[in-house]
Amino acid sequence: MSEVTVDAAPDALRVTIDGTTLEVAPGTTILEAAQAAGRWIPTVCFDDRQAPFGACRVCMVAVEGSPRPLPACTTPCGNGMKVETEEPTARRVARTVVELVLSELPEPPEPHTELARVAARLGVDGSRWSGAVHPHEDDFRHPYLALRHELCISCGRCVRACDEIQGAFALTATGRGFEANIVAGLDAGFEESTCVSCGACADTCPTDAISEIGLVAQLERS
Amino acid sequence: MASATTPEAPATEDRFDRVATTTCGYCGVGCRLETRARDGRVVSIAPALDGPANEGHTCLKGRFAHGFTRSPDRLKTPLIRVDGELRPASWEEALERIVDELTRIKGEHGPDAVAGLASSRATNEDCYAMQRLMRAAIGTNNIDNCSRVCHSPTSFAMRKSFGLSGATGSFSDIDHAEVALLLGVNPTQGHPVVGARIKQAALRGCKLITIDPRRIELADYGAIHLSPRPGTNAAVVLGLSHVIHREGLVDAAFIAERTEGWDAVEELLAGYDPASVEEITGIPAADLEAAALLYGEASSGSLLWGLGVTEHKYGSEVVQLLCNLAMMTGKVGKPGSALLPLRGQNNVQGSSDMGALPDTYTAYRSVEDEDVASQFEAAWGAPLSRHKGMTIPQMFDAAVAGDLKAMYIFGEDVAQTDPDTAHVAAALENLEFLVCQEIFPNETTKFADVVLPASAFLEKEGTFINAERRFQVVEPAIDPPGEARTDFEIIGEVARRLGHEFGWESPWDALDEVARLTPHYAGVSRERLGRSGLQWPVRPDGSDSPTLYDTVFDRPGGRGHFAALPYKAPGDAADDDFPLVLVTGRILQHYNAGTMTRRTGNARLVDRDVLEVHPVDAARLWITDGDKVSVRSRVGRIEVEAKVTDRIEPGHVFTTFHFPETRTNLLVGQSADVNTSCPEYKVIAVDVRPIAEQPSFVPVLADGDGREP
Repeated sequence: MSEVTVDAAPDALRVTIDGTTLEVAPGTTILEAAQAAGRWIPTVCFDDRQAPFGACRVCMVAVEGSPRPLPACTTPCGNGMKVETEEPTARRVARTVVELVLSELPEPPEPHTELARVAARLGVDGSRWSGAVHPHEDDFRHPYLALRHELCISCGRCVRACDEIQGAFALTATGRGFEANIVAGLDAGFEESTCVSCGACADTCPTDAISEIGLVAQLERS
Repeated sequence: MASATTPEAPATEDRFDRVATTTCGYCGVGCRLETRARDGRVVSIAPALDGPANEGHTCLKGRFAHGFTRSPDRLKTPLIRVDGELRPASWEEALERIVDELTRIKGEHGPDAVAGLASSRATNEDCYAMQRLMRAAIGTNNIDNCSRVCHSPTSFAMRKSFGLSGATGSFSDIDHAEVALLLGVNPTQGHPVVGARIKQAALRGCKLITIDPRRIELADYGAIHLSPRPGTNAAVVLGLSHVIHREGLVDAAFIAERTEGWDAVEELLAGYDPASVEEITGIPAADLEAAALLYGEASSGSLLWGLGVTEHKYGSEVVQLLCNLAMMTGKVGKPGSALLPLRGQNNVQGSSDMGALPDTYTAYRSVEDEDVASQFEAAWGAPLSRHKGMTIPQMFDAAVAGDLKAMYIFGEDVAQTDPDTAHVAAALENLEFLVCQEIFPNETTKFADVVLPASAFLEKEGTFINAERRFQVVEPAIDPPGEARTDFEIIGEVARRLGHEFGWESPWDALDEVARLTPHYAGVSRERLGRSGLQWPVRPDGSDSPTLYDTVFDRPGGRGHFAALPYKAPGDAADDDFPLVLVTGRILQHYNAGTMTRRTGNARLVDRDVLEVHPVDAARLWITDGDKVSVRSRVGRIEVEAKVTDRIEPGHVFTTFHFPETRTNLLVGQSADVNTSCPEYKVIAVDVRPIAEQPSFVPVLADGDGREP
């Protein structure tokens, strides 16, 4: 057993992550505690510049006493809580979610993308399910920002980056289920929206659905 | 692509062959950037997640506008003027010409016939080298930098009121402020990352008071917006102070224990009741009262200002009045209560801190101070002048008068950005010898005798200091193109050939020298700066200063100084011949002279300067959106496209100066700040009228001839 101390304070909570006990401030999430303990938890919809969202269900962990896995990004630590990050059921959920996400893409995500790296680390290579994939629909009108709708997994990170970091409120989630996607403004493209071209959306996107035109060109060249 | 849980993001992805962490060269926010290059080209820039000023965010300039580095227009070889034409030359020829001419002019007319300009876009080490070149190798204090034309009034005033020339706190104070008062600053355009931070703070409940002749974007997120007539800021601040005093919201204990000079201010404030202030500023008295109560009643409040305060005839006095406002309410030196001047260019703070000013060595120590001067004399092994040199406007006047014979300008396009373009052109024309050290040919290089190809911020190493006094490391993302060299290297070579050896191997040696010779920067070193930088003063043990004046002010006696300064009318005013007041400024997509941003995809987003006109004025002047209009001031005339918008108040027009073809600064006259000669770019009386390219009325032809009317 090792001990790590984070923000030790009189009201600190003691939480055990994979056998490591830490003291954390009230309000600390399991994900933050795990990071402090040096443990990796897979995430897809999470970006620590944004408020936790809890949508993707990839960051599932087992918590002693809980009948089912819990999302690490939105679950606050409780005193005496014992967390297992690699508990088999939780990991099976995470893998299945990633696999389902991949099954909708017309081609596997580029290896440098966050989704591809999470999938690789979880040992997910491809999907057992075949079926409908998103049709190619690319918007290259903006001088810098490419929007490739077929790569969107509706994680909402771009929308939150636009709202919570830049405050431009230019991106919107549209559609439901398989049709869910992201549009700039009223789907008239970035330039016709309130977009200020800051690129926070491209920076956070885990699949390159929104990415830099220059990088797209770079990929095509190489 | 970035979150703390990203599994082992490789330091160098195979898509890139060179990565670096550097500091942005666009604006004074000082975003830390991760640069990725391949085959000598920058291919991508991302914000550093641990950047203290940007916290994982940046704007379209920092992130995307790097394409200028590989523009075909880049200067790649030295140019020298032969038979009236600039032609490519070797470095040897160019340097020889510089040394010959500077030596000749110095011999014939003395060292004060030569002047140099350092650049607020360049590194501290470049600027320090430049002032040492002028002072030690030439022997003159004729060295200045472009902060003269933007924030010199801020520097002057904050030294007078508090002691040090810099923000009293940090950008993080915005997150903790109950109220933020923004005067003459438009952060979502000029300082986008701080603008986004302010907007987020406002969405969380921070009450914004925005004061600007234009209804800036943040006004839509604020508690109240005041639109004063341009040039009446002093009356606005005095009016706010009046109400706060009248309502008993002054911090008497703070005033008694920490300050001096209050009595005179108290007396002065009596004359600035809201009704009188309304007469001067046009701000409804009730709005002024409401704004004053918001700021006065808050437990913490920050003041932010920009060039809308400084670029006026009494700009430095308004900054002093802002300092008064903070002191009388005790809102300085505490979390959430900071005075944050938003600096225009990336290293406005540093270029001045480094002593690239005609009257001061590093950290604003006077050239007339015998102790300081002899310390530099000993360090540099050269005799140093004890009398102040010329400011930029004085240099141009002296050149026109024939007293100044040579200038060495690096990183500033004075012929586009300085006021009264015709006067600047006459000055440059009249010089016997002009050296420009630049990355692109520009309006100023047209007058040059020698042009040296230099480096952009993405190609050099050293440090910048951002608007919160933070020294941050600059690392090269790529190498300079062709035969271009770094500014640091060039200035050192010129000094060497003039017989003065700096003795530095790299910019880091220069930084060490700055630290050795400057108590306020004593603890600064490359190692200590690390990834997050340090906010000066930096003590010898390396501890820094996020907040200033928490216990004492940096003045003799430790007390802050209240300055009793009344409102005085601006240098220019609308009249029958010039009925509108023009305000100039910049926009999000472009950066000042536009030298860099015009050569990137940003030019596809915005490709021209426009004149903002209020619908009421537009209707009266028969101007419709998109019309080409003529704008005439007392000193010049330009043509520009009109944009009809209610962001601006009736009676006022606004334009930018990003495109050289517009030549906006032809309109700006000689009026300038009384203390620092910072030009009055913000109040220019103009006459605007449409240019009738088409007849304004085309008679409709009779039906039946088959033609459209």
